[in-house]
Amino acid sequence: MNESNPIYTVFGIRHHGPGCARSLVAALDALQPDILLIEGPPEGDALLPLAASPEMRPPVALLVYAPDDPGHTAVFPFAAYSPEWQAIHYALRAAIPVRFMDLPQKHWLAIKKQEADQRISEKANEGEGESADQWISEKADQRESESPPLPLSPSPPLLPADPLDLLAHAAGFEDGEHWWEQVVEERGGDAEVFPAIVEAMGAVRAVIRELDPTPRDALEPLREATMRQTIRQAQKEGFQRIAVICGAWHAPVLVEMPSPKEDQAVLKGLPKLKVAATWVPWSYAHLAYESGYGAGVVSPGWYEHLWSERNEPTAHWLARVAGLLRDADLDASSAQVIDAVRLAETLAAIRGRARPGLEELNEAAQTVLCFGDPLPLKLVRRRLIVAEKLGQVPPDAPIVPLQADLEATQRTLRLKPETERKPYDFDLRNATDLARSALLHRLNLLDIPWGKAQHGGGGRGTFHELWTLQWDPAFTVRLVSMARWGNTLEQATTAYVAHMAGQAAALGDLTDLLDRALLADLPDAVVALTTQLQAQAALSGDVAELMSAVPPLARALRYGTVRQTSGAGAVDAAAFETILDGMIARVCIGLPLACSSLDDDAAGKMLKHLEGLQDSLGILQHDTWTMLWQETLLKLADQSGLHGLVAGRICRLLLDAGALPHADVTRRLGLALSPGTPPLQAAHWLEGFLRGSGLLLLHDETLWATLDTWITSLSAEDFVAALPLLRRTFSAFSAPERRQMGERVVGGRRAAKDGELAVDATRADAVLPLIAQLLGLNSQRKDAETQSRKEK
Amino acid sequence: MENTLLRQHAEQQFAEELAALAEMDDRIRPPHWKLSPWAVATYLLGGKLANGFEVSAKYIGSRALVEIAVATLATDRALLLYGVPGTAKSWVSEHLAAAISGDSTLIVQGTAGTAEEAIRYGWNYAFLLTHGPSQDALIPSPVMRAMREGQIARVEELTRIPSDVQDALITILSEKALPIPELNAEVQAVKGFNIIATANNRDKGVNELSSALKRRFNTVILPTPATLEEEVSIVLTRSTALGRALELPAEAPAPAEVRRVVTIFRELRDGLTLDGKTKLKSPSGTLSTAEAISVVNSGLSMAGHFGDGKLHADNMAAGVTGAIVKDPVQDRVVWLEYLETVLKERDGWQDLYRACREIVE
Repeated sequence: MNESNPIYTVFGIRHHGPGCARSLVAALDALQPDILLIEGPPEGDALLPLAASPEMRPPVALLVYAPDDPGHTAVFPFAAYSPEWQAIHYALRAAIPVRFMDLPQKHWLAIKKQEADQRISEKANEGEGESADQWISEKADQRESESPPLPLSPSPPLLPADPLDLLAHAAGFEDGEHWWEQVVEERGGDAEVFPAIVEAMGAVRAVIRELDPTPRDALEPLREATMRQTIRQAQKEGFQRIAVICGAWHAPVLVEMPSPKEDQAVLKGLPKLKVAATWVPWSYAHLAYESGYGAGVVSPGWYEHLWSERNEPTAHWLARVAGLLRDADLDASSAQVIDAVRLAETLAAIRGRARPGLEELNEAAQTVLCFGDPLPLKLVRRRLIVAEKLGQVPPDAPIVPLQADLEATQRTLRLKPETERKPYDFDLRNATDLARSALLHRLNLLDIPWGKAQHGGGGRGTFHELWTLQWDPAFTVRLVSMARWGNTLEQATTAYVAHMAGQAAALGDLTDLLDRALLADLPDAVVALTTQLQAQAALSGDVAELMSAVPPLARALRYGTVRQTSGAGAVDAAAFETILDGMIARVCIGLPLACSSLDDDAAGKMLKHLEGLQDSLGILQHDTWTMLWQETLLKLADQSGLHGLVAGRICRLLLDAGALPHADVTRRLGLALSPGTPPLQAAHWLEGFLRGSGLLLLHDETLWATLDTWITSLSAEDFVAALPLLRRTFSAFSAPERRQMGERVVGGRRAAKDGELAVDATRADAVLPLIAQLLGLNSQRKDAETQSRKEK
Repeated sequence: MENTLLRQHAEQQFAEELAALAEMDDRIRPPHWKLSPWAVATYLLGGKLANGFEVSAKYIGSRALVEIAVATLATDRALLLYGVPGTAKSWVSEHLAAAISGDSTLIVQGTAGTAEEAIRYGWNYAFLLTHGPSQDALIPSPVMRAMREGQIARVEELTRIPSDVQDALITILSEKALPIPELNAEVQAVKGFNIIATANNRDKGVNELSSALKRRFNTVILPTPATLEEEVSIVLTRSTALGRALELPAEAPAPAEVRRVVTIFRELRDGLTLDGKTKLKSPSGTLSTAEAISVVNSGLSMAGHFGDGKLHADNMAAGVTGAIVKDPVQDRVVWLEYLETVLKERDGWQDLYRACREIVE
């Protein structure tokens, strides 16, 4: 194979390449090596035998983390078709030693940690004024550094991002991905490809070194030196046929060995960190490039298909697409599948390809099976191309950091997982109880209902939360499957909530999630949710839905800190304001249309929304919004064809806000109750206007008189029709209010006749000294008041 | 032919390019094709030939779509070009026919009144009455002629044709034969025959294809231009050319103004601002590139006849609003939301915002 190095052979592969995997298995069968060295963290060596366990089902990932600092981790995912995975299985079958040979993660993570610490201290020096944008990009950086850099990672601006592009352009392809796909992945699987890869990558590296001699990644020299040292070690131990499996990029520098001294010098004095490793279940969605995983592949499901379906992948794939479409109740006949296969093959021929690739198959499926409609292809993309596949790890794998984090949190908060039901009463003013509440809310968000919140129990203040706790061993399984979202509860819940937010269809689901995220003290998730909320709000044509989304947002903005959570406090308040700004503007534009032609039920609902929005605006105290809202209400009050309930309520809201002069309100009441208005409409108006509080009626003489005139003017028939509504309105008032009104009705006629209420001044004066005493007024003022009272 | 024609067929206008392609084309040609599939795709998308001859681009857009269309015709399945009005469906169909058969004139225009005779065959009744039924009394339709000669037939606006008449195509497409029961004869299609149909998916009251017929077509949806730059350049060239043809007294439109119109149209059409930050509702109209061209043109006309000859915001406001607000209730809300949440805040767009706001109010 590689004649210059008879003792060891280098196989340059692409991570997660099915064609590579197939060629590699063939090559290993031919070589019969006595040891395998694989690019990967040496900390995982001890875990390798677990890969053969029957309960281990890829996709899985080797997770290396710093137990003392769970924020620093590295993940090495494997699919069944990853060449490394196949190599590990080959070694376990052949019972030969297999080792990882990359830079140990104890150094790698330590270096990353140093860099991160440095960044944080730099940030601290820059000052506090950190905008949301900066924060987000910072977050993105972090994520990048967490996943292992792929051998083909970003590079200086002069060069193409993907070094394979150099080869691809030379071969007349658009980019390296396509080129590699066709030249390596989609072909049958022959061992001859590897020397060619080493040679090609050698040429690429030479060109790049000429253009820009600095290494593409500061860690690269360290990693490659470690790999060479591992190879030397294996040679020293006397192995005769060493197979070295590494990313194609590294292959050429492993073939040409510099002197061992150079490598030793490079590896001297590296920082160290305590690390641990374990297997975690992984998913194809996380393996996909779009999930942000650096060495990800574009289409994990397609690769699995290529791996498992060696003969006739085209026909099998399109048949699977047709089956999927049928499951979704879309027509897809066998005749169409035949036509799609023919179209895919013709397309491949026009493009000069030996067999159709994913691109041709997608185009054929869209054109023939979906009648040109791109929408069903999204389903294909989700279910087949990325594929929703979740791996599984054996139960005897070491515990995952997420689990460790939960256990640590349970210990700190002194909450034991017990299978017995146990009630708790948390006082949220107490830091421990607050943290306990947040923990339970987070677990609930992860679908681990350890604690159930009791709503409205005991009628205590908002500082109390009642919970019932009951642990179920199945929660652990659930927790392990959640490990792919993050290594601490906070990280995992945040990522999971962001994921759910992406799937939420209704605005209501989002506001619900937002409420829960606030309770669970997840400021990052709140940011993600508000962004999503903004996008959904823009699309929603339902004004009512929009209006119902405002109150939770207003609460978040205003009361985010009541629970002492970082809630809205940490989240840029400006972001919230922008969202609310857009939402309120949309509500105000859409409201007149939404309020026209409502039936009784709809009007009742609209009433609640109007009140909710009014309350929210009251909480927010934002002048522009309040003004816009009042203008809209004023316009709305004059709109004809408005339901009585809504019209009455609007009038009341405006009166309470002082936006309508009193005289105008009386005029409107008169208009609404005048004979021209149908009695039912008038009664609705009154219900809307008076709802909830009779005090207004008791204290406003003119309103009382107008109402009185209206009722007495009703004919017997109309009165009977209006009676149930009037009863409903009045029965909602408190008992003392009703009694006072009754008294007014009995005595009121006389008072109205007299024109003014008769006051017995002497009897009134007799009470004043006692009142003054109660209020603690001095006698002088009392005298002055009595004086003025007398003068009146 | 002297160039006195108002409009030339594609095969006349681009005869030189077609000849140059045929000369250079050494790839396999399907039976009766004038060019290989590769050369047909090159003819539509433009490019430089090995001998340095420059082929102009007829269709600016996705290469994959053109390749799918050509591959479809090569597999003997019929091609249905689908899309909103103003996305160059007929244009592509004409050029495909011209490149493949060298003849783009075998065409059936679909209307509500298109009869079966237009797709199958008709009779010369005078001849029929005097001499009785014979091949000579038969008037072949463009489709029948294409079948006999192994050429491409075009059906425009397929969905406008009544359903029962549409279904006459089923036998032609599946059996590749057209029976003539009156003469106890049939016409069998020669290799190379195929049909390109166009249909638009925005019109209401059209006759949806029966699933039997739909299944015999490969559907290619022609999208609106992919990038702002692409669309701006299309609008600029077309409106400048049209302005010259109509002899408008105004100056050519400033690219900046055209860019603003195209930006508004694209944002509303895609339901997303160009920076990708804000989602928007889309109005009921199509807001195609063709409509952007007409907005710019009417703006130019206003500026030329009533203004200072330069295109300003207030010349365009009415046109933009008219193109967007097709439904006086729903679209108005969409447009107002857009004005209030997007345009109002955008730097340097205040003139357009005020002008539009005045018209909507």
